Amino acid sequence: GKPHTDLILPINSSLSVTLHQDQLKTTTTAAASRDFTEDRLWLNGKEADVGHPRVQACLREVRRLARKRRGGAEDTAALSLSYKIHIASENNFPTAAGLASSAAGYACLVSALARLYGLEEELSEVARRGSGSACRSMFGGFVQWQRGERPDGTDSLALQVAPETHWPELRVLILVVSGEKKPVGSTAGMQTSVETSPLLKHRAEVVVPERLAQMMQHIQERDFEGFGQLAMRDSNQFHATCLDTFPPIFYLTDVSRHIIALAHRYNAHHGHTKV
Amino acid sequence: MAAERALAMATCTAPVNIAVIKYWGKRDTDLILPINSSLSVTLHQDQLKTTTTAAASRDFTEDRLWLNGKEADVGHPRVQACLREVRRLARKRRGGAEDTAALSLSYKIHIASENNFPTAAGLASSAAGYACLVSALARLYGLEEELSEVARRGSGSACRSMFGGFVQWQRGERPDGTDSLALQVAPETHWPELRVLILVVSGEKKPVGSTAGMQTSVETSPLLKHRAEVVVPERLAQMMQHIQERDFEGFGQLAMRDSNQFHATCLDTFPPIFYLTDVSRHIIALAHRYNAHHGHTKVAYTFDAGPNAVVFALADAVAEFVEVVRRSFPPAANGDQFVRGLPVGSAALPQELLAAVVTEPVPGAVQYILHTKPGPGPQRVDDPSQHLLGTDGLPRSRA
Repeated sequence: GKPHTDLILPINSSLSVTLHQDQLKTTTTAAASRDFTEDRLWLNGKEADVGHPRVQACLREVRRLARKRRGGAEDTAALSLSYKIHIASENNFPTAAGLASSAAGYACLVSALARLYGLEEELSEVARRGSGSACRSMFGGFVQWQRGERPDGTDSLALQVAPETHWPELRVLILVVSGEKKPVGSTAGMQTSVETSPLLKHRAEVVVPERLAQMMQHIQERDFEGFGQLAMRDSNQFHATCLDTFPPIFYLTDVSRHIIALAHRYNAHHGHTKV
Repeated sequence: MAAERALAMATCTAPVNIAVIKYWGKRDTDLILPINSSLSVTLHQDQLKTTTTAAASRDFTEDRLWLNGKEADVGHPRVQACLREVRRLARKRRGGAEDTAALSLSYKIHIASENNFPTAAGLASSAAGYACLVSALARLYGLEEELSEVARRGSGSACRSMFGGFVQWQRGERPDGTDSLALQVAPETHWPELRVLILVVSGEKKPVGSTAGMQTSVETSPLLKHRAEVVVPERLAQMMQHIQERDFEGFGQLAMRDSNQFHATCLDTFPPIFYLTDVSRHIIALAHRYNAHHGHTKVAYTFDAGPNAVVFALADAVAEFVEVVRRSFPPAANGDQFVRGLPVGSAALPQELLAAVVTEPVPGAVQYILHTKPGPGPQRVDDPSQHLLGTDGLPRSRA
């Protein structure tokens, strides 16, 4: 959930695990030329709307940072900020699987644009303007998106909690389920949740701050029991707040429930948290 | 010298109730004291009721209990708790004075109980059962006082079945639970247009039992704690106002939200508890589409700790919504047995409603619909032919 939709500032901090690009990645090429007549965007080979507010927000922010970096000095060797941009983006996984990630997409867009304009600074704040969770894709390993307090969002950014090499034994299995109906979009969904769910408010204000600290400790200590239990609880609580939304949002299906029940039976059988 | 009565028998009936502000979680598991107050609608006994006969005789050698014709464990702690409490109240009432005309409290008890609805439907209600047990025992011992506290000792929600209409179970503050009891908010005659449709769904697996489930929730869910302490007190006041004002829009919206929030706390339990199934979700989505199509709240769902949906509606919406349900969950074979209980008129559905609302039919998902309405509290049965026990104290075979 977010209290401010333009800047994409969240109601609570979050923590994630970045997945390996050998299995899931977005590739983006950004090109600028004085010969281009307009900005254009292609996603997985199909032309898309470059005027999309989120795309424009990222483009604007990157150009703003580039302009700031140049400090007004005319640098004829630098790429002109007035040139039009062509952008093409592709995933190495099928969109139909429901894994297509705005996080990877915007993190890649921002990274490519930054490289184009010669920027090397903190960019998670820019990626955040495309899609909230994209800021977490600006780092590898274990990443925290700090909620921030400032209304202008300049302190709402991501930082790495531990590198991808920190926990060599950790693995991720994504169970891609079959042919489900397209669920409610996140942007609209979370807005409704913020507006209607009393439990979400309590989660953001009271529960998450405690859990964030606990989770970081579990990761630091490579404590799978703690990490796993808290991950399951937090997933369930997120879905609980979706159910507490009005009208209610259901992302978990009967198949999801089967998988959850299976995991609990498996762990119970082994006597500790293995998955 | 008056002879002590040799055999005494009393029969009562008691209703089922459906909570619109849900009870889930105890602060005392022995006394059955809840973490939050709750509010319910008592359903009419013409459609759903438990009948209980309690008999006491000096010739009985042991306490015995029969449920729907089968002998059950009379030693069950909850049954014993109710029995003990009723006897304690009876003893207190007599004040120690030897009353030879009164039924001896030392006689053994035979109890038989029956529902007028199938157990397999998942409607079998401990609330109706314990309310009926307490009512029959109280009648047997000549008690007439406040008994919801005793019924509560059998099953929490049973205290709400001690009254008709709209009932609140006040949480109470005392550790001994003497202030945790039910009271009527409005009688069953208060809202004549209110109707209840129970959508009995098909063949689901037996869900997690309430007693264990809510205990796990209390122990593991941070959201439940917040619900009980902050959200429910506000909602209770709002709901009572909606009922007083017969405001269906407010009543319905709040009922749906509270049902969802209850299930949200089940999901926030660890391990998570799922009472809502894909069919439940279809029904929920259908209700929202139907209301959106009409531009206001015409139906309101609520789900308890099981798969059946309880849908509130005003009388003038029943025929159309029943037809919508029939089209959305086309019954397999028993077309004429699909709607039971109070009669439902026919309704033709306009094409635009069909197109907007009946969008994803799931054949066979709903077994049948039971149409009922708010009803009275426990009733005494005076007709001796209705006793479930014969003069020998054994269950009568009923034709």
